[in-house]
Amino acid sequence: MTKNNSLLLLTKITIIALIVGAISLPSILEIVSPFWMLIFFIYWIIYTDTKALYLSALILGLLTDILQGSILGQNALALLISSAFIFNVKKSFYVSNLTTQQVYIFIASLIYLIALISTHIAIQGFDFSWFIILSPFTGSIIWPLVRLLLAKLKH
Amino acid sequence: MRLFKLIVPILISIMLIVVDARFSYLDNFKRFTLTLLSPVYFVVDLPSHIVDWVNDQGSDTALLVSENKYLEGKLIELKVRFQAYSNLVLENQKLTQLLDATYTIPEHQIILAHVKSISQSRLKKQVIINKGSNDGIRNTQLVVGSDGIVGQVTQVTPLYSTVLLVTDPTQHMPVKNARNGIRGITKGLATSDRGMIVEFIPLDSDVKLGDIFVTSGIGTTYPSGYLVGKVSKIHKPPNDAFLTIVLKPIQNMDKLEFILIVSQKND
Repeated sequence: MTKNNSLLLLTKITIIALIVGAISLPSILEIVSPFWMLIFFIYWIIYTDTKALYLSALILGLLTDILQGSILGQNALALLISSAFIFNVKKSFYVSNLTTQQVYIFIASLIYLIALISTHIAIQGFDFSWFIILSPFTGSIIWPLVRLLLAKLKH
Repeated sequence: MRLFKLIVPILISIMLIVVDARFSYLDNFKRFTLTLLSPVYFVVDLPSHIVDWVNDQGSDTALLVSENKYLEGKLIELKVRFQAYSNLVLENQKLTQLLDATYTIPEHQIILAHVKSISQSRLKKQVIINKGSNDGIRNTQLVVGSDGIVGQVTQVTPLYSTVLLVTDPTQHMPVKNARNGIRGITKGLATSDRGMIVEFIPLDSDVKLGDIFVTSGIGTTYPSGYLVGKVSKIHKPPNDAFLTIVLKPIQNMDKLEFILIVSQKND
């Protein structure tokens, strides 16, 4: 994939992730829903020749923070750390079967969740709904569908 | 080198978190970027616009006429009630003059807004409304629903605004018991969708189940007299100087559609 194509795919993925993340759901479903930006970004990391990975993660994380009304840097930090993990297992991820990929997605989402909750606790204390711990599960469950849709988008 | 490439953006993120949590230097940047991202809100809200439009097209004329008659009746009823309220205001002004008191009932301006079906951070309880700085909305304005307090405007762009709900844990509001005037401060509960607690009310205070709390008007942010919540639970902790009072918001936050943004006339 050329640099231009990679950038184009990243732009498409960003727009879709921001839109999907902003779709309103009933409150419980909203809390347990996957970390959309992370899952879409993982696809970009795995299936393209990633250049400026961490800069892209920082920018996308900041856009998510602003759009969702979070503290600036909260999602950016979580996305950076999770991206670093995925980048380290990129080769293994690429050749793995779907179930193993789902395990990687689960671990990346868990890292994202821990980073997100840690900053939240540091700033506001233990004030959050415990249903949020289900997000890594929903992320790994939805991965096959996301992969299928983004594969179509890629071509 | 690869580690350096990772460490630098992580440090930038941590720095941004600290600065944004403690200070307001980044507010203008956030507002500007959110304005650029506003089309995302438009796209997400588009299906509900289309559904509304289709519903409007398919509405039966007879149904609309009967609905219109019902609403006209409601309007007359409210006008009659408003006359009584106006009389009370006049009486209050006369009494204020007679007693030489400084308290007056403040006059408020209201702006009607529609709550958009747009998701926000899962760690915060906020909603997006379809009015922004172009409509005269400003930060910190109070937001009320048909039954009571909804929250406060926390972020404004030209077309949209963000309202932090009164049930969010970071939202604090000065309140008083409508029955006897005992004052406290509410704080939202993250673990419950419909809960708040009232803090700083001494153990020996007269608070009963079912008591109504209203905004006290202390400070300049919130106008006084708006319904906040009803006492649903009272607990007297043995080793604490204050009661733990749980309020159930009078306004149902799950069924918000139209809300009013309140500001004092001289704002």
